[in-house]
Amino acid sequence: MSVEITTVSVPEGRPALLLAEYETPGACMKAAAKLRDAGFTKFDTHTPFPIHGMDGAMGMKDSRLGWIVLVMGITGLMTGIALITYANGIAYPIIVGGKPAISIPSYVPVCFELTILLSAFGAVFGMFGLNKLPRHHHPIFESDRFKAATDDKFFVSVEYADPKFDADRTPELLASTNPNHIEIIEDTES
Amino acid sequence: MSAATNDKTDFRTSGTSWANAWKIAAGVGVLGLAGAGAGFAADGQRFAFSYLFAFVVFLTIAIGATFFVLLQHLTNAGWSVTIRRTAEFFMSALPIFALLFLPIVANLDHLLPWWNPDHGAHAAHQTATQSPEHGHPAPAAHAEHGEHAAPAVAHVPGAPGHRMSDEEIEHSLHAQVMASKDWYLSHRFFFFRVVVYFLFWTLLTMKLFRNSTLQDTTKDLKLTASSQGMAPAATFGLALTTTFAAFDWIMSLLPNWYSTIFGVQIFSTTMVAIFSVLVLMAYAMRASGVSGNAITTEHFHDLGKLLFGFNVFWAYISFSQFFLIWYASIPEETVFFHLRWSNGPWKTVSLAILFLHFVVPFALLLSRNTKRYAGQKVLVLAASLLLFMHVVEMYWLVMPNYAAAKNIGPQLSEALAPHWMDIACLLGVGGVYLAAVFFRMSQHPVVPVGDPRFARSKRFENV
Repeated sequence: MSVEITTVSVPEGRPALLLAEYETPGACMKAAAKLRDAGFTKFDTHTPFPIHGMDGAMGMKDSRLGWIVLVMGITGLMTGIALITYANGIAYPIIVGGKPAISIPSYVPVCFELTILLSAFGAVFGMFGLNKLPRHHHPIFESDRFKAATDDKFFVSVEYADPKFDADRTPELLASTNPNHIEIIEDTES
Repeated sequence: MSAATNDKTDFRTSGTSWANAWKIAAGVGVLGLAGAGAGFAADGQRFAFSYLFAFVVFLTIAIGATFFVLLQHLTNAGWSVTIRRTAEFFMSALPIFALLFLPIVANLDHLLPWWNPDHGAHAAHQTATQSPEHGHPAPAAHAEHGEHAAPAVAHVPGAPGHRMSDEEIEHSLHAQVMASKDWYLSHRFFFFRVVVYFLFWTLLTMKLFRNSTLQDTTKDLKLTASSQGMAPAATFGLALTTTFAAFDWIMSLLPNWYSTIFGVQIFSTTMVAIFSVLVLMAYAMRASGVSGNAITTEHFHDLGKLLFGFNVFWAYISFSQFFLIWYASIPEETVFFHLRWSNGPWKTVSLAILFLHFVVPFALLLSRNTKRYAGQKVLVLAASLLLFMHVVEMYWLVMPNYAAAKNIGPQLSEALAPHWMDIACLLGVGGVYLAAVFFRMSQHPVVPVGDPRFARSKRFENV
């Protein structure tokens, strides 16, 4: 198993990522499963298109985004109830069309809209938060080969920050998954 | 059938309990119709309403199935191919409703107050439009109700100088509304529309079903192209026929009432009904093994999403209808909710629909996990509840008009009086319909094995 390991250096950088390049989706998926079985958590796969079964191969759990959206949705609902109770019931109790100041049907549009609005905020900004976005730079873009991730190559990246990471054994592990090439990528930040 | 797949099953029902299901359904149907027939002899008017209720319960399922199939062709859907055949079975029995409609034709006099304005059921809109504080006037005072064709201006009662009472004004306005609908609510035009609906539904469902089942053996791609080619125009046609059938057979039970969104309301109901049925059928077919590995967790997940989405859509449309009527407070419009929301037994049913047709299923179906995990037991529970509430909703749409026809005020507890004939008709119509569905199911593979996207549908995943 001889795979060439090159280093992508930046001035004053230190190793941040191991990047392995694969020829096929299958090889990429097998490598992900191997990392998962070895207990790695801080690794990712980069492919030109979605690959069915990759979530399972990476051992990814269901997203927590749904809970964020649920909490935000309930917050929106409560805000709507509070808003219309205060506005129509307390601050300006004006009789319109012979309806009581506090009448439940008139709550529904406001509560509905605020529930949807805050749920949507929760979904978009929660997704940003979980993905640690916005982020202006990532060391993986130091690699020239990585450009092929949007074309015809499949990549696995492992962070040095992973608790299981070992500077000697992890490249060996990756080399055993039959990649085209392995790179060590340096970063100036963190 | 050639072995089209590597599955152990050939997707045929022969040798399973599905093969004989149609006989059981037919037996139940015959017994139910016999009971309903006995009920008809005893109380023709009650039979008419019970039968119409049962008719719309199952008609909406068949129409929903047709919408579902058209929708898949319209969008060139690959994911749904393995469950499309189940919907096609439920669609293929739509023409039988032309036969099942005959008892309704014989009882239009009992059902539709406008059918024979001088006759019994005419009392419906009197009770309906009357607010509780008004006493019930002598029937003779309402003779003018019959003269729908008379121009409204000729309608002012009494001698010059006579000041019209509130009630006379109300009836005068009512007669104006009815006169404006005369051209639509006429016997000849009504029957013309009935023929158009059933002709369209029969031709459409026969063609779609034939295209699909023929492909099982021929694998001809042109059949897919044929179904997809007719889908856009057919969707328009189905939407229009469904809307006007809903106007004719349900909305005109209360002829002075109108709601322009009513057709959409019924459309949303048909979709909730068919997705509930598809979830339950997919579950039953998986449990019995007849569908092999063709129906996966991914299909349940998508059916669950669509059931959830269309149920929210149903609630949105139902509330929109209620909200505008509540807000505007125009008597011709509020009469619908007067019958169903006055402090009487129907208010309890209305509240039950709000909570059990929307709030509870919403909570059950919201999470992704309930659609994917634990053998879809929560999804099946929600689908069962929604199917049951579909029956309740149809009862809620039809039956308050029976109390109105009998001059029973909506505040009285007798306004909601379930009758054994409701069950008999439900079993009768349902039995006949399901017999037709299950018979078709016993004749064809339960998944479209010849569809070019069949293998893709088995493999698909929600990313």
